[in-house]
Amino acid sequence: MTSIQRKNHDKSMLWAIFALALCGSVLHGARVWLLCAVATVTAKVVDVLVSMIRRTDYDATDHSSELAALIFTLMLPVNIPVYVIVVSVVLTIYVGKHMFGGRDVYPFNLAALAMCCAAVNWPDKVFSAVVPFAKVDFFSGYTAQTTLSNASLIKAGGVPPYNTVDMLLGNYPGAMGADFVLVIVVIGLFMILCRKITWHIPVTFLITCGAIAYIFPRIYGFSRLESIQLEMLNGSVFFVALFMLADPVTTPKTPKAKIVFGFVTAVLAMIFRYVGSFDIGTCFALLLVNTLDGYIERMVSGDRIKVADVAGEDTEENKREKTVHRKIFTAEKTEKTKEKAPKGQKEKIRGASDAMDLISETEDNIDNVIYSTRTISIEEILKAEEEQKRKKGGKK
Amino acid sequence: MKNKDYSYLYANWDDTVRRRKVTLSNPVFMKGLALAPIVVAGTSVHNGLLLCIAVFFLLTPTRVITSIITRRMSVPFKTFFYPFVSAIVFAFVYYYMYRYLGTSVLMLGVYLPILVIDPLIVKNFEKTRKESVLYSIINGLRNTMGFAVACMTVCVIREFLAFGTIGGIKLVGVSLLPMAQYSFGGFLIVALVAGLWSAAVKNYKYRVEVEALHNERHS
Repeated sequence: MTSIQRKNHDKSMLWAIFALALCGSVLHGARVWLLCAVATVTAKVVDVLVSMIRRTDYDATDHSSELAALIFTLMLPVNIPVYVIVVSVVLTIYVGKHMFGGRDVYPFNLAALAMCCAAVNWPDKVFSAVVPFAKVDFFSGYTAQTTLSNASLIKAGGVPPYNTVDMLLGNYPGAMGADFVLVIVVIGLFMILCRKITWHIPVTFLITCGAIAYIFPRIYGFSRLESIQLEMLNGSVFFVALFMLADPVTTPKTPKAKIVFGFVTAVLAMIFRYVGSFDIGTCFALLLVNTLDGYIERMVSGDRIKVADVAGEDTEENKREKTVHRKIFTAEKTEKTKEKAPKGQKEKIRGASDAMDLISETEDNIDNVIYSTRTISIEEILKAEEEQKRKKGGKK
Repeated sequence: MKNKDYSYLYANWDDTVRRRKVTLSNPVFMKGLALAPIVVAGTSVHNGLLLCIAVFFLLTPTRVITSIITRRMSVPFKTFFYPFVSAIVFAFVYYYMYRYLGTSVLMLGVYLPILVIDPLIVKNFEKTRKESVLYSIINGLRNTMGFAVACMTVCVIREFLAFGTIGGIKLVGVSLLPMAQYSFGGFLIVALVAGLWSAAVKNYKYRVEVEALHNERHS
């Protein structure tokens, strides 16, 4: 997925989130908008500040931070204190996004990371559920009408006393915007049909979750089909499937790998839900599978090669590549130093031009090698070669 | 700082780094030594002080005693004596700490004895050259200072974030980041502070380099 496609995806998701926040505000009041606004502003401010600290260009069209903050916020109950959102978002954007390289390269799903951060720090606040249409103080979030969430109830061996229609409409104590299953399904279908997201991961994830709930029901005294209903309509399964698993940055790129990714995430999510101590096992499972993202992609598509493996062998060719790589690094570093130095000192710093000359000399030899911290495919290499040939042809 | 000082620093940068154990080559933030005790046991100012006291009485005496004993010995014997001496010193230190500080020493758990085998203390046995008593005292104290600064920085931040207090004095009514009291929170905070620290050192080095080159050009 290109950067432009990712930005379009983020914009579509923001509209979808807006729809869910609207539904949430109908059930839980105007505080939903306050919390969403706090999350968005915090994400934006942290993004700008950290970009300034890192001395990188801030991309105003990158909405991944705001989107993650909003997804995270909608998974919380409406009585959540504001500082919980602020601290979680700050930690997530700073540690989860910028410390791993920033936009388009962060390895972990930001919303899942924020949710796990909040769940570990304030489990009592995160896992309380507010009754719909309850009176909630706009600023402090105080309300007396809280109860156990459905996921907690199922974990404790109970059964939620709500009918299917209420569960589909989200009309039961729970999160601000993650329980409107019907709305989420409609949004999901719309986005798949409009090709904003692909069906592979959400559909595989939901089918696998349903299959596990059918094969291993944990609610005794109910039929297997009722087990599917209870497992799937609680614990924000649909919300996670659509908004977190469809993140293009932290998920595999090829269809086969996406299906495997969805399957593995679902299996782990159900295991965490069955034996874990938190309701949001899905978020923990997603973070775990995010670490296997590259491996799954490489495993599924056999033509993938790992640059580190190639670089690790001590053949003459690889030694030359390593030397060139080191020279590129030195040149970049020296160029940066040269840029930072006062005007009078620029002539003093030598080495950059020499190193750049060396690169231009050896460029022809490394045309077919693309350096990357992740995996590269032969197709990508061939495409790069073709582009270079085209450029050379154009110049002539 | 005077311009000629920058030139001097630039000319003797490696030596300066080696001497400035508190800032430029902090044993914790820049070298990654003694992380386990700080990450796990350094949850409050009280625990941090106990760790600092333990390191103060363990690090320098171990180095000094080893340098005295092994003065006339060959290098392999020094390698043997170093952990041996540190273990004996620890036995005395633990006894007196327990006697004067009471059961609060037990709060550090296994991480007090772990200090003995921490690279902060025993890494020195790798050195193939012998060191004089004066050098071992100075270097030991510098390392202790570096550790103390790092340890207390982390402990203050963790106590504030986890409990809203510093040294038991309540500053904030809420717990800003409860996970700071756990080991994984400790890892996160140590990593963040170490990152900021190394960035500051890098900036300082860059400034020294630029000023020195500027002086060289105009002199």
